[in-house]
Amino acid sequence: MTMRIVTIRRISQFFFFAMFVWFCIVSTVGEQFWRLRGWPINWLLQLDPLVAIGSILTTHKLYWPLLWALPVVIITIIFGRFFCSWVCPFGSIHHFAGFAAHRKKPASKRIQLNRYRKAQRIKYFVLVFVLATAAFPSIAATLQTALLDPIPLLTRSFNLAVLPLLDRPANLASPADRFYEGAWVILAIFTAAVLLNLVVPRFYCRFICPLGALFAVLSRFAIWRIGKNQHPCSDCRLCEKACEGACQPSQKIRISECVLCFNCRADCKDESISYQTKPSLAGEITDPDISRRGFVLSLAGGILAVPALRLGNKLGSNFSAAMIRPPGALDEERFLKRCIKCGQCMRVCPTNVIQPAGIDAGIEGLWTPVLNNRIGSSGCQLNCVACGQVCPTAAIRPISLPEKLGTDDFAAAGPIRIGTAFIDQGRCLPWAMDKPCIVCQENCPVSPKAICTREVFNTIRDGVYTVKNASTKTVQTLEQMPGLDKFATGDYYCLTDGGELRKITANTGSSIEISDDEPFEQVPALGGGIKIQIRLQRPFIDIEKCIGCGVCEHECPVSGKKAVRVSAEGQTRSTKTALLLERLK
Amino acid sequence: MATGTPRRKARESVISVCLLAVLFLIGLGVFLKQSRYDKTAFAPPTAKPLSQQPQPSTTAGPNLQVFTPNGFKALSEPEFYGPDDLYEKINGKASLYLDSNFRRLSARRFASIDSPELWAELYIYDMGTARNAFAVFSLQRRPDTLDLFHFDPSFAYRTENAVYFTTGPYYVEFVGSSESPQLTNALVAAAPGIEKALPLDEPARIDELGLLEAENMLPGSIKLNLSNAFGFSGLTDTFSARYNIGGQTITAFVSRRTDSRDARTVAKSYHSFLIENGGTLRAASVGALQGNVVDFYDTIEIVFAAGPFVGGVHEADNQQAAENLAAWLMKRLSEAAERKD
Amino acid sequence: MSKQSTDNSGRRQFLARTAKAAAAIAAASAVSRLAYDPKGPPGQPHTRKLVTVPDFSVDRQPGQTMSIVKGPDRAKNLSRAVELLGGIERFVKPGETVLIKPNVAFASAPILGATTHPQLLAELVRLCLQKARAKSVYVTDNPINDPASCFMLTGIAAAAEQAGAKVLHPRNELFKPTTLSGGKLISNWPILFRPLEKADRLIGIAPVKDHHRSIASMTMKNWYGLLGGRRNIFHQDINTIIAELAMMVTPTLVILDGTQVMMTNGPTGGSLSDLRRADTLIASCDQVAADSYGCTLLDLKAADLPYLGKAEAAGAGTTDYESLEPKFATVT
Repeated sequence: MTMRIVTIRRISQFFFFAMFVWFCIVSTVGEQFWRLRGWPINWLLQLDPLVAIGSILTTHKLYWPLLWALPVVIITIIFGRFFCSWVCPFGSIHHFAGFAAHRKKPASKRIQLNRYRKAQRIKYFVLVFVLATAAFPSIAATLQTALLDPIPLLTRSFNLAVLPLLDRPANLASPADRFYEGAWVILAIFTAAVLLNLVVPRFYCRFICPLGALFAVLSRFAIWRIGKNQHPCSDCRLCEKACEGACQPSQKIRISECVLCFNCRADCKDESISYQTKPSLAGEITDPDISRRGFVLSLAGGILAVPALRLGNKLGSNFSAAMIRPPGALDEERFLKRCIKCGQCMRVCPTNVIQPAGIDAGIEGLWTPVLNNRIGSSGCQLNCVACGQVCPTAAIRPISLPEKLGTDDFAAAGPIRIGTAFIDQGRCLPWAMDKPCIVCQENCPVSPKAICTREVFNTIRDGVYTVKNASTKTVQTLEQMPGLDKFATGDYYCLTDGGELRKITANTGSSIEISDDEPFEQVPALGGGIKIQIRLQRPFIDIEKCIGCGVCEHECPVSGKKAVRVSAEGQTRSTKTALLLERLK
Repeated sequence: MATGTPRRKARESVISVCLLAVLFLIGLGVFLKQSRYDKTAFAPPTAKPLSQQPQPSTTAGPNLQVFTPNGFKALSEPEFYGPDDLYEKINGKASLYLDSNFRRLSARRFASIDSPELWAELYIYDMGTARNAFAVFSLQRRPDTLDLFHFDPSFAYRTENAVYFTTGPYYVEFVGSSESPQLTNALVAAAPGIEKALPLDEPARIDELGLLEAENMLPGSIKLNLSNAFGFSGLTDTFSARYNIGGQTITAFVSRRTDSRDARTVAKSYHSFLIENGGTLRAASVGALQGNVVDFYDTIEIVFAAGPFVGGVHEADNQQAAENLAAWLMKRLSEAAERKD
Repeated sequence: MSKQSTDNSGRRQFLARTAKAAAAIAAASAVSRLAYDPKGPPGQPHTRKLVTVPDFSVDRQPGQTMSIVKGPDRAKNLSRAVELLGGIERFVKPGETVLIKPNVAFASAPILGATTHPQLLAELVRLCLQKARAKSVYVTDNPINDPASCFMLTGIAAAAEQAGAKVLHPRNELFKPTTLSGGKLISNWPILFRPLEKADRLIGIAPVKDHHRSIASMTMKNWYGLLGGRRNIFHQDINTIIAELAMMVTPTLVILDGTQVMMTNGPTGGSLSDLRRADTLIASCDQVAADSYGCTLLDLKAADLPYLGKAEAAGAGTTDYESLEPKFATVT
């Protein structure tokens, strides 16, 4: 009984898919076995050569964890496009969906579905285009490979859409429901890609996937390849019944399309197909089927796209002030050269405050991480550096806690600021509504606090009364007062004509009582007036101390448009947004 | 040209198994990787946000905001607890401290600089006075322990994974997260520095300790019960120690009262307490102890007053040995009482 | 084809493929090795190559460092003033490229005195091109308002071009970052560098104005127009930035026009009543001395301007202009 290659391939697909799902599940900070610990949750992203090559093109550097891509490249060069049908979890989903959708159909129909189509050349144009957007940092370069790169795409789809949905209401993967703005779009794209397998099996892999196209190019000189070992054969075409790559193994096999699923070899009853070093006896086509014109157009389009995308000057003075990036993020130009929009930072953020951006960060910024302090359990936690620890490309640097807080070795540099909070005095309760509130100041986590208060006493609406009778501790008024002990909350004060201000401890419908400890020095005169005043502590932001963490914004009770909001000015990563002169360096 | 079928099948099997092995190795690698990680990145969130915690006063021990034991780096934020919320940190044990006039606990986790995956938690209890600190120290002292280098064994000891000592009004525990010898060595090395960093207002002197010291006393066996010694509410501020008398271990105790009259009162009431609860008087072979020896459910209890001290023997198996020990203690206490006068 | 030859060609193909595969692997490994980054990106982007402003000054000749000419005609005053210092030929040699930095900060009409007067500029260009026989003269500034309207409405563009000079508008590519050694504020800051790079000589030419923030704006403040970026942030420490500008820029010559002095509401002015006729023009190799004399036209003393003291302390010049033995003249 032989152990067949196709069996191992299926095991491998399951293995890597399960690994992928497990990595998504454990991506919550914690030390238990089913939490983050030391699980290498980025390993599949690090294996992805398109991430590595894209970032080499934009930054001229290979960030050290991405060295994992090199063995994948080497194995592909030697053996062919094994990744697509042995490792890629997105590919496995498509493989399974295609199988499930079409397995009941007769063989002839399935063979038809797996014929080579010219549209399979589109993925090469996608590859050229995204590499061209990355390849010329001196003109303008941006890393957009990850929009269609399957590993980041799948990581993003799972982390931001699928897992949050599956995890309710049991909340096993995360301690609370997770929310991600605009994730429905990500889910829609994912679902569409999967559903397209009902039309053609492995639709995404054959027509769209730029990673597959990259592997196709790399496998040009493969030493071993699928091919016919006898020609002519019985020409039953059964080899194409389950051909995943649509590479026409029964004819001149298209090596660039073959994903090494080995189904042809397993299905061939005459053992005419093997994995061999000799070229297929029926001939082979090694090069991708793209025209020079298509190549040039994709290249030009990619090169021109980036300056076009930057016409809005979003990297210059028109930067988006609402865009707060996580602490440790690089300045915007370098950030866009590294971020692969994988969503790992969003997944791991314990407070769920990191969200995928829409297009107000520019189209280049789509699905890059930005903070939304209204979502999640609190702003950016002071003692947390999780996002930088999980970013696979160091678009968010793996900063240490001392660097974030500006302690120990980093005391001279000071803390990392991601923005500055601004009080909206027209919406803030003590500023505009005469209502006491210092929730923002109480919750400011830095020490000393970046929110300070200034005390103000305002006469309340209809707060002027005439004295009917008074003692050193009480005043009776001619006019009716509002309900019993309304003024006894500790915020209300009584101001006499003589200028004495005392805290009110109790009131009835017609009198007020002040504290025993501090009676009036001068008893209010009969017929004179008293004013009921409210003590307000008005918050001020100390911009030298504010780090933009957003806890104040999150806690502000004005729950719609918050009365204190964090804005990107003053962020450490971009000195041109500095508010203070000494921070220009 | 088709290859031979059996050869092909065999080769396929071999390659398949090899590939399975590769998958297995990958799985193994991932599994091994998950246990290796930098613990400092996982400092658990503090009990309260820093700004809401009471800031320590200057007499509350080293400012854990800035103090770091030698060889360690901070792993979490310092935590501070008062009598109201001590149980949040140490749960049931809180009552021991609260009964001993606990004032404040400063606690913080530290990681070894050399091996950051080894971490320990430092607890500094401010008990207000040296006696209180000694009480909680001695009452929790584990039986078989080792000496702590550089420290007087009466006031310090170590176990396989922690060091404990008391100095001035403080009781300090530095407890390692694992029994790694490397970590324990680091704790031992750091302990003297911690002691130095603690501000001492009063020189710690506990006179009763000298009264109990003897050659046959088991080192480190002195305990201080601030209240309810041996289950009797009248016995407060009672020091006890264990002695090796001819192979047997016997406990003796002493409590300084305000004066001789108070001592006699307390001794008498403890005596009555024993009798009322089922003890029977025994004839003593040592004259001075006549009337002081009680058989309490097959163990011997002796209690007497000597000057301002109440002394005695507790739960002894052998009456002769107990009497010898009690006589010795009585002589000691009488001499001490005379010296005071 | 015989089996032997098929095998041979097959083997050759195989070897060729293997060789190409090996080459591809080698290339991939080489790229990885070259690009390998074990540290990750730094927090702040690398500072791009910083430039240094060249030193345009000429050697001092005693008694020919500063000249003060009184008279109603700017052009005539200028000629005389330069003559007193040894003539334009002392400062500009034949075939050289001269960069003139006037004050074109606002889109303001010349008579309002907020910008360099076009007649004065034209005369300076004429002197350089015709008398000194310079090869080319450029005029540049980085205005506060929109550059095109500024150069046009102030009359500077027309005057420059008529006299034969070329106006350089401030474009992004002309700016490069610089750091002033010993400076606190000018650190990795963009300046209008490319025109400075091209020039052999640099002449600053500015009117005497009251200034709301710095008290006065004269030849030293004139260099503010070389700063790029969000330079208004420097207003938080205006005296330091002016002193640093004087440390950074060492011109060949400065011309300070005190013909119509803006006494109030500077730097924009806006009303003729803000001006007072002083009919004075100063030419100087020492910009600190020039400003020290110029402030007297505003009824101020050098001690009233903190930036003068700072610049003098940093060695950019002297506030004691009398020690330079300035030459006085009157032109009717």
